[in-house]
Order: sequence, then structure tokens, then C-alpha cells
Amino acid sequence: MGTLLIILRKEFRGFFQSPFGWILLSLITVMQGWSVSSAMKALQDAPIPESLVYIVFHMPQFWFYFLALFPLITMRLFAEEERAGTLETLLTAPVHTAQLVLGKYLATLCFYLVLWIPSFLQFQIFGLLTDLDPPFSTGSLGGVFLLIVLMGSLFIAIGTFASSLTSSQIIAGVITVGLLFIHYFLGYITVIYGDQFPAASLFHHISASEHLRDFSRGLISSSTIIYYLSASAFVLFMTHHALNYRRWKS
Amino acid sequence: MIKVDNLTKRFGRHSAVSGASFEAADGEVVGFLGPNGAGKTTTIRILTGFLPATSGTATVDGLDVAEHPLETRRRIGYLPESVPLYRDMRIREYLRFRGHIKGLRGDFLRRRMDEVIDRCGLGDVRRKMIKTLSKGFRQRVGLADALIHDPPLLILDEPTNGLDPNQIRSIRNLVKELGESHTILLSTHILSEVEMICDKIVIIDGGTVLASDTPSNLVSTMRSAGRISIEVKADPERAQEKMNALDQVKKVIHERNRGNWGEFSILVESGTDTRERLANLAREEGWPLRSLHRHAATLEDVFVELTRKD
Repeated sequence: MGTLLIILRKEFRGFFQSPFGWILLSLITVMQGWSVSSAMKALQDAPIPESLVYIVFHMPQFWFYFLALFPLITMRLFAEEERAGTLETLLTAPVHTAQLVLGKYLATLCFYLVLWIPSFLQFQIFGLLTDLDPPFSTGSLGGVFLLIVLMGSLFIAIGTFASSLTSSQIIAGVITVGLLFIHYFLGYITVIYGDQFPAASLFHHISASEHLRDFSRGLISSSTIIYYLSASAFVLFMTHHALNYRRWKS
Repeated sequence: MIKVDNLTKRFGRHSAVSGASFEAADGEVVGFLGPNGAGKTTTIRILTGFLPATSGTATVDGLDVAEHPLETRRRIGYLPESVPLYRDMRIREYLRFRGHIKGLRGDFLRRRMDEVIDRCGLGDVRRKMIKTLSKGFRQRVGLADALIHDPPLLILDEPTNGLDPNQIRSIRNLVKELGESHTILLSTHILSEVEMICDKIVIIDGGTVLASDTPSNLVSTMRSAGRISIEVKADPERAQEKMNALDQVKKVIHERNRGNWGEFSILVESGTDTRERLANLAREEGWPLRSLHRHAATLEDVFVELTRKD
């Protein structure tokens, strides 16, 4: 078993060895469950020309807990090692910085995927309990969860990066929230200023809310996939350098 | 085993280490001495590959630590000063993780774990959470971690820092035992520790190596290695004046009076002995003489003389 896998396994287990992981898991389950039941009520009350999946992920509360999730799961990663001094024991063992960064990142990504399992199952319940066809297409369900994974991969990378900048979990968390909010609201620039300026297409390109709109209708765009994956890789590369730079200067 | 050559580490405008050079041969136990802030920890962090040097080289087992970071780290067992551990892990769990990332697997790892747990006296607490352990036991867990991959070189940064006298004793005995089969670089500022354990001493201050020799050589080449105490029944002023007049006497200090007895400290030039002439002087002057004693220089004298700022 490679060093990367060892670090991944330790970090992943760490999420479940304290109440922290379980609390987050139940929080997401409750919030998503609440969204599903309110969406079903909305469909019952009035005809809406959108699928259940689309409505669930366009509930007003979605972005609140979705964006709040990332600082919570990433702020600990490097800040805590730095504060406790265990970064020194890790980086004086025969471990590459890249193995450490990827191990921690992938462990968090795995934990994040686990967080969404209950939500995925909630959509299956509809078909199990009723004999009706589920009020959404496979494409929209697949699309939305693909986007959840893609956004997760970038936002966790951003949180990992923030955590590598400081020995304070609070500061790491605040930086993450700040960067994610900025990223989210950059997508609204075109809503505020219109499409009449040259860079407008850029803001459409990175708009998380537009991605969610398209993917939850089953419109999967390869440029969005490439955007999230390449941005994640870039941020992880920055994390690697930030960690090395911190060692080099102090 | 260790060779440090003209090592310099600058943090901005501040030099933590400037041109330090020293060596440690295979199997030697080297005491790494210096006041706080002398550059010990920085030098150690360069050796362990945690920090890169600004200039100069450090090699472990003939391998440059900057060019072969992973190979040299495999040869080093390192106990950092603050003994960082994962508080929420149990001892066995922690050692298993550390063994894993150091490349140990399966039966071999289990055997090594049992060995280091036994060796570091952790048998009774091996299932405990690290956060419930006392400082002394945490130090042992750190040492067990340093030993788990059976490295030929141990680098211990102030391993007895903050322990009570019994714990200090047991850690010291452990280090002494380990010294029989390992090369050890032991950073500390407890001088008695060094005198008891080390084959060689490197004294560092202000980032430069001031002395590097065996303890006995260091002590015997000390400049102030010659303080004599004498107690005579005499008029203090006259006695001081007479003794001062002797050859090779640098200074006579009247320490105190006990009844009629006056106690004096006499500093003489190194490599000379004035006791016989002092005794003769007392006889000629008719002073009753109660004690005459030459103090052997201690490592503390050496340390203070080399690193004193005033």
C-alpha cells in the first residue's frame, strides 16, 4: 500500500472517529430531506414545469448549507497539523509533500461523497414507495450529482489550499468561505451588469448557479467538467507550493 | 554518520545558523549544546530535511539531505522538541500509522511495534489515548516513533525538556542504552546529561560552532580551569595582598569570614598549580591553614565561558 493511500485512509477514518463527521452527515441528510419533502409539496400544490431534482436543488436553503459545508470539512486539514507541530513529523518521515496534499485532499473528497449518499437514496425512495415513475429523468439526477462531485472537487481544493496557509483553523475557514462566496457571486455579475461587456461569457463560464441550473436539467457540458477539474488541479498545485514555501521561509 | 559543512540558514535578515560545521562518527553519541536560540533546532531541522539550508551542506550516511531527502529521512529517527503527536489516537494506532508511512508492513511492523513499546516502557499504557498520557509517556511515545523503523541515526531535540527528575532519569538511561547501538545527536542544555551520556560535545551559539571535542578534552583545555579555595586564619587584607604577590596568581577574592577564618578564592593561570606555594606561604606567615582545595573545571564552566554574553 502506497504512502498516499495510508494518509488517505488515516484522514478518512479521522472524519468518523469524532462526532464531527456524523453530525455533518446527519445535517446534510436532514437538510436534503427537508428540501425533498418541500419540493414534493410544491409539486402537489401547483403545476411546475420542472423536475423534482431541479426543484430540490433550487430551494433557497441549498447554497447556504452547501457552501458552509466546505470550510467545515477542510479547515482542519493542514492548519491543525501546523498548530500541533505534527506537520514536522509528517514531513521528516519519508513522505513527499505531493503525497500528503493528495492523500488529505482525496480523503476529504471521499468523505464528501459519503455525505451525499443519503441524499441520493432519498431520490430513490420515491420510486420504491410509489408505483409511479419518479418525477425526474435519470439525466437530471445523474447530472446534478455529477455537478455535486465536480463542485466538491474544486471547493475542497480551495479549502485545502486555505488550510495550508495558516495554523489557525478559524482563519482557514474564513478564507475558504470568502473565496467560495466570491466564486459564487462572480456568477451573478452578468445578472447585475447584463451581457453587454466583453468578459460576460467568462462570468457565465464560471457561474456555479448556471451550472446547477443546466446540470439539474440533465444538460451536461464538457466545458464545465473541464473547468472544475482543471481549476481543482491548479489549486492543489498551489497548495503544494504554499506548503513548501511555508517550510522554506520559516 | 553526520557531516555538517559550513551550514547557513537565514530567515530574512536574521541568520539562525551561520557557517556551522561539525561531524559525528558512526556509533558516537554527540551532545549538541547551546543556549536557547543558539540555532540547535534549526540545524536539526535542516538535517532532518524539514528546512532547506540557505548555503552549505549537510550529509547523513554520505548522502546529501537536500538531494536525497527520502533516503536520508529513512536513516533518521527524529524526536522533535515539542513531541508533536496525534492526541486522538491510541499508542498502538499511532505507532502503526507512523510505521506505515515509514514503509514498514505486516509482521515486520508488528514485531517492531512490540519491540519499541517494550523498549520505551509503554507496555502498560499501550492501549491508551495519547491525550490522556503524562508528559513523560508522551516523550516515550515520540521516542518509540523515532525508533520504529530501526534507523541507524537518532536525532533527539531536548528529549528531557519539561520532565520531572525521575522521568529525566529514565529517559536518560534509555538514551544511554540506545547509544550502544545507534549514532545519536542529542540536543540539550542540561549539562549533567551530556557529561553522563555523550562521547563528544558540540557547542553552538549564535549559529556558529564554538567547540567540538570530547568532554574531558574540553574541560582540560579550559582557560579558567584553575580555581583554588583556601581557608586561613589571618588578617584578610594582608592575606589577600600576600597571596596576590605570588607568581601565576591572577586574582584573589575574599569570599567570607567564618569566625576568625577567612575564605579566599584564587584564580590562577591554566595549567599551573599554586597549592604548594600557597601552603608554604601560610607556614612562613604563621597562618593556621584549615583547607586548601583545587576545583576541577566542569562542563558548566566551559559552557558558560564559551557562550556568556557579557
